[in-house]
Amino acid sequence: MNLPSPRSPFTGSSRSRRMNPSSTDRKRVGLQRAALTTKNPFEEFKTFAFQKDDIPLDRIVRSTEEVMDHIRRGYEKLLEEEAKELVWMVQYNTIIKAYEVAEKYVKQIDYTAEDIEDFCFALENTQKIPYFIPGPAGVYISALSNYAKEDEIDLKLSELKTEINLVGFRLPKGKRLVIEGDTGDFTGIGMEGGELLVEGNAKNWTGAGMRSGRVSVKKNIGLHTGEWMMGGEIHVGGRVRGLGNIVEGKVFEKDKLVYPGKARYPNVYY
Amino acid sequence: MMERMPGVRKNGYRKQVKEIYQFISDHLYFNRPDIEVKGERYNSSILFSLITALNKGKELIIGEPGLGKTTSVEFVCSLIYQFPLGVIWASEVSGHPEQTEEKIIGRPDLGKLNQGEEDVVWTNFTQIPVKIVDEINRLPETKQSMILDGVDRGNWEYLNEMIINDEYCLFATANYQDGGTNTIIAPLVDRFDAMVESRHPGPNLSFLIGKGKRKDHLLRHLKFEKDIHRILKSKTAYEKKMPRVEEVCNAFGEYVYEVLGVKPLQKHDRDQIRAEMETLDLDQDASAFARMLLAEFSFCERYGQKRVVENCEEGCHYTGYFCREIKNCASNRLPTSMKQYAQGLAWLLEDPEIDIEHMKSVIPYTLAHRVQWKDEILSQRERSKRDDPLPIFLAKEAVRVVSQRFREQSEHLKDALAVGSRIYQGESMEPLEGDHPLYAEIKKDVDGRPS
Repeated sequence: MNLPSPRSPFTGSSRSRRMNPSSTDRKRVGLQRAALTTKNPFEEFKTFAFQKDDIPLDRIVRSTEEVMDHIRRGYEKLLEEEAKELVWMVQYNTIIKAYEVAEKYVKQIDYTAEDIEDFCFALENTQKIPYFIPGPAGVYISALSNYAKEDEIDLKLSELKTEINLVGFRLPKGKRLVIEGDTGDFTGIGMEGGELLVEGNAKNWTGAGMRSGRVSVKKNIGLHTGEWMMGGEIHVGGRVRGLGNIVEGKVFEKDKLVYPGKARYPNVYY
Repeated sequence: MMERMPGVRKNGYRKQVKEIYQFISDHLYFNRPDIEVKGERYNSSILFSLITALNKGKELIIGEPGLGKTTSVEFVCSLIYQFPLGVIWASEVSGHPEQTEEKIIGRPDLGKLNQGEEDVVWTNFTQIPVKIVDEINRLPETKQSMILDGVDRGNWEYLNEMIINDEYCLFATANYQDGGTNTIIAPLVDRFDAMVESRHPGPNLSFLIGKGKRKDHLLRHLKFEKDIHRILKSKTAYEKKMPRVEEVCNAFGEYVYEVLGVKPLQKHDRDQIRAEMETLDLDQDASAFARMLLAEFSFCERYGQKRVVENCEEGCHYTGYFCREIKNCASNRLPTSMKQYAQGLAWLLEDPEIDIEHMKSVIPYTLAHRVQWKDEILSQRERSKRDDPLPIFLAKEAVRVVSQRFREQSEHLKDALAVGSRIYQGESMEPLEGDHPLYAEIKKDVDGRPS
């Protein structure tokens, strides 16, 4: 076996090249050359079975993200089907139809109360949700709340810049929905026996068409409160700006019954 | 203990070395055990001296005067290299301000010089494999550099001649700083693989030592001492002298075995032991841990690496790591020493690989003398309650803290190294991110890999 002619500065002198190298010399040269090969500094970890970390927190984050994706897709479908015209008109039929669409998607998702809160936060704070329309968002949140596994749902909406409408729509008996922050119009409409607690203000048409249950608003409430309500109670910690045409039920202002009562007329400002 | 390592051939060398350890511990150098490795307790001074002697190391032994720094080493070397104590004493270099190159390395052969020939008479210190420099810090700094080359490579030069020690180990003792001592120059300090303290054995053992007779005579033999001295003095070539010295050493070894019942190691045994140690490699945890520690002792995000002339900036992201607490950069000799001593320990404990426990046990002793801690760290910690001299205490603390960090993120760290390896092999992947200097260093290596 002839050694290749040396080209690198690490090989011997021309004189030694002319000499006949012994097998030991050849072996030594081989070893020295092997030592000169570029080494992978991580060689020892070549065999290490690299796995993406699967620490519990990661699993939680991953599953939360998956759930959020499902919830988000449901909302997008709702928007696609119900808000094609970009202006969403609040009509009772529209709301019912939107709710049915929302119900269909929500029933297929395995989520928790915390996921609903994350969704509320994501509505305003991520780019992943293209449109935040308070009406459909409220219907969708109501559907999520109504079909949640938990009986008590706490939603922190105080950091949202836009108040969500229609929160608590059709809240069924046995559910308690607590809203930290303010809500928009049509809060708690069509309630079906649940308990809705708003720890801020609520706008107009709160409790409209509700059949039973209890709406509590810690601060003030807007006009048309309890419009066409058929039963249940509305408790307001602050001021009731105006009552609607109430069929049946009770409205309290600072623990004082204001409907039914003598001095109350629909939408009387006081 | 032999059953612990099924994969490793049992050849009796470990038993022989353990018997030497036990003999020294029981009869020659009384001290308390101060280090525990995998449930076995040892005296660090004897243990590290044994590994140094077996694995061609360089060890610095510090301690108060009269606490057996030199004596312990002499006993270890006598039994590992089969030299009678008289030969070891005659080859020791004593550190004092008037020391000269001629006394340390060699001198011209005056007889030949008169005849116009140049020849060198080498000192025993340069010729025998056991090299002990007593009180090295009493050597002036300029004279310390004289032994630099010899210490590092086993090359000794005088005039135009050179001898190369094929087998050697070096021990140097140093007192703590006082009026008569100098500092050991930084390049020389770095060349020591390990630093241990020869500690006070406690009043009871100390009393026992004082009450008993000196033990030197046990390892002395005047005839063999004279024989070896004669061979070393002879004018024959160094390469031819050493086999003859070895023959006398073997005879002394047999004498020791016969009289004391402990069997010293022959050259063949030592070579065999070294070959066995050489086969022991670091497992992945030990390797990742060592890298993690090296990263903390060499990393600087702002200036690319630690440099003794540069200071940390305020508000550095890596403030919590050791790079913030030290002035200098870990040298490339540190990982070599770490592995060398961990290999020795793993071999002695009959383990098939170097694992993280071996590393954690030896690193404080290989790191302590090499780190220059910042003044504020020294002033903060010097009054800490401790059982070790400050440098070893700080190094042990550092190992403890890094090992805590390693426990927390070992899997992710190994993943990052595995990803590094894959990228090096050509796979298209992104280096893993993490909050430790090592992740940044992996990224640097990956970015700078040869295309």
